[in-house]
Amino acid sequence: MTNFIDFLLGGFSSGAVIALMALALVMVWRSTRMVNFAQVGQAMFTTYIALTVQQSTGNWLLALAVAMVAGLILGIVVFFLVIRPVKNSDTTGAIIATFGVLIALQAGAGMIWGGDPEGFIPPVSNAGLEFAGRIWPVSLYDILVWVVTAALVIGLTLLFTKTSLGLSMRASAFNPEVARLSGVRVNRMLITGWAIAGATGAVGGVLIAPVSTISPNSFDILLVFAFTAAVIGGLDSLIGAVTFGIGTGLVISLVSGYTDASNAPVVALALLALNLLLKPDGVFSHHGSRSV
Amino acid sequence: MLVIENLSVSYGAVQALKDVSLEVPHGHVTAVIGANGAGKSTLMRTLAGLEKPQSGQITFNGQVISGRKPEDIVRMGIALVPEGRSTIPELTVEDNLKLGGMWRSHAQRNASLSRAYSLFPVLGERKSMRADTLSGGERQQLAIGRALMTGPQVLLLDEPSLGLAPLIVTQILELVARMAWDSGLAVLLVEQNATVALRIARTGVVLNLGEVVKSGPAAEIASDEELRHAYLGY
Repeated sequence: MTNFIDFLLGGFSSGAVIALMALALVMVWRSTRMVNFAQVGQAMFTTYIALTVQQSTGNWLLALAVAMVAGLILGIVVFFLVIRPVKNSDTTGAIIATFGVLIALQAGAGMIWGGDPEGFIPPVSNAGLEFAGRIWPVSLYDILVWVVTAALVIGLTLLFTKTSLGLSMRASAFNPEVARLSGVRVNRMLITGWAIAGATGAVGGVLIAPVSTISPNSFDILLVFAFTAAVIGGLDSLIGAVTFGIGTGLVISLVSGYTDASNAPVVALALLALNLLLKPDGVFSHHGSRSV
Repeated sequence: MLVIENLSVSYGAVQALKDVSLEVPHGHVTAVIGANGAGKSTLMRTLAGLEKPQSGQITFNGQVISGRKPEDIVRMGIALVPEGRSTIPELTVEDNLKLGGMWRSHAQRNASLSRAYSLFPVLGERKSMRADTLSGGERQQLAIGRALMTGPQVLLLDEPSLGLAPLIVTQILELVARMAWDSGLAVLLVEQNATVALRIARTGVVLNLGEVVKSGPAAEIASDEELRHAYLGY
């Protein structure tokens, strides 16, 4: 039982990061109805930028802020790289183009920063906290991850539900024609969606870097988990992405704890397959069919 | 005043509008009537910027608007209520309304919102409910309310009667006519239901296969039996 609780607690941090990546995938899906497989590549790239800032200034908050800005810009750049040229063809072309961007980002990062894994120093201690006579699998850094994730999720929720920009973005996703007739500049809203997704992914990357290492391919597995969470959540639902992101983190932690860490991706894919068999529209989605 | 001169629109080889000219004056309802496929919706969509004209010109208060984007045209004061009660079902009633005229000042938008609620009290009662819980008539009111939120000088109404009970249609159209009269709004109404449309309109325009076959005082067109038989089928 103690093991079970420890594994669960240990899963919350990775769950939070998976939730952020899933959120990024969902935001892109909501604005342009496609999955951006380059999302983790963008996060990897901005995390390298954060690492460079961290190494030269020692300021973690500054590194996080720079990564977010870089994520916004990279989101916009990828939008124009992928969406514009294939705008008149089907989205399948654009989805494949995102794979191209992913490979280009990984190759580019390898050329700039090298292929060897590098460590990212956490701003606060990553050692398990001692409480009530034992050491728990929760560190100060885990708590920081939770706080930053919660702040970002609350911020995004407020943005989408309480502001004019959020209303414009939601309307553009649901019905672009009605949005345009109401005076919304829909194309700008789509770009904004990609930009916010880029920044969200960037935060996820910076948060996970200290507990793994960073190399051009180190976030690939994160794509599997985030994609699973986003699809099970219904691809359209921000709440779904967060819920199943954290859920996926817990499941992975339990699987890794009781069996072996290498089983985690297989379990994630099994969950995905099960979801597609039983509830293909996703648990939180009220929409009809979709193609990925 | 909205002025349409020699407007032609085609979808590939299909000529949807051919040399259409008409004027939509402020303070009145102008009704465009005609059978299915006469080009009525194409006319409305082109005025709102959703379709590009092949030739001809649309001007509003002396400014050329043909060829502009829908989001720019609505900002100039021309609002379309498209066919089929175009509300966004996933959003609440109030969010559907607030979507209209986001570029306007806070004060202007608040004034428009309270005006929409006083015109359509049922929307105020249901403001926090999702739009897909409304009845057809309520959704049409919401669609018109959203268009009014943009502070239009010209209101384009595409087949508001579609699928609604006759009594509700009459109520909605009479309200629109009164609005035109009271606030100098120019209304262009497209309808298959010619009887109701001509009753509230000052001018009637008959469209057939993309061409204007007759225009004149609404009462005159309503009483022209030959015209009715030939183009309106009743």
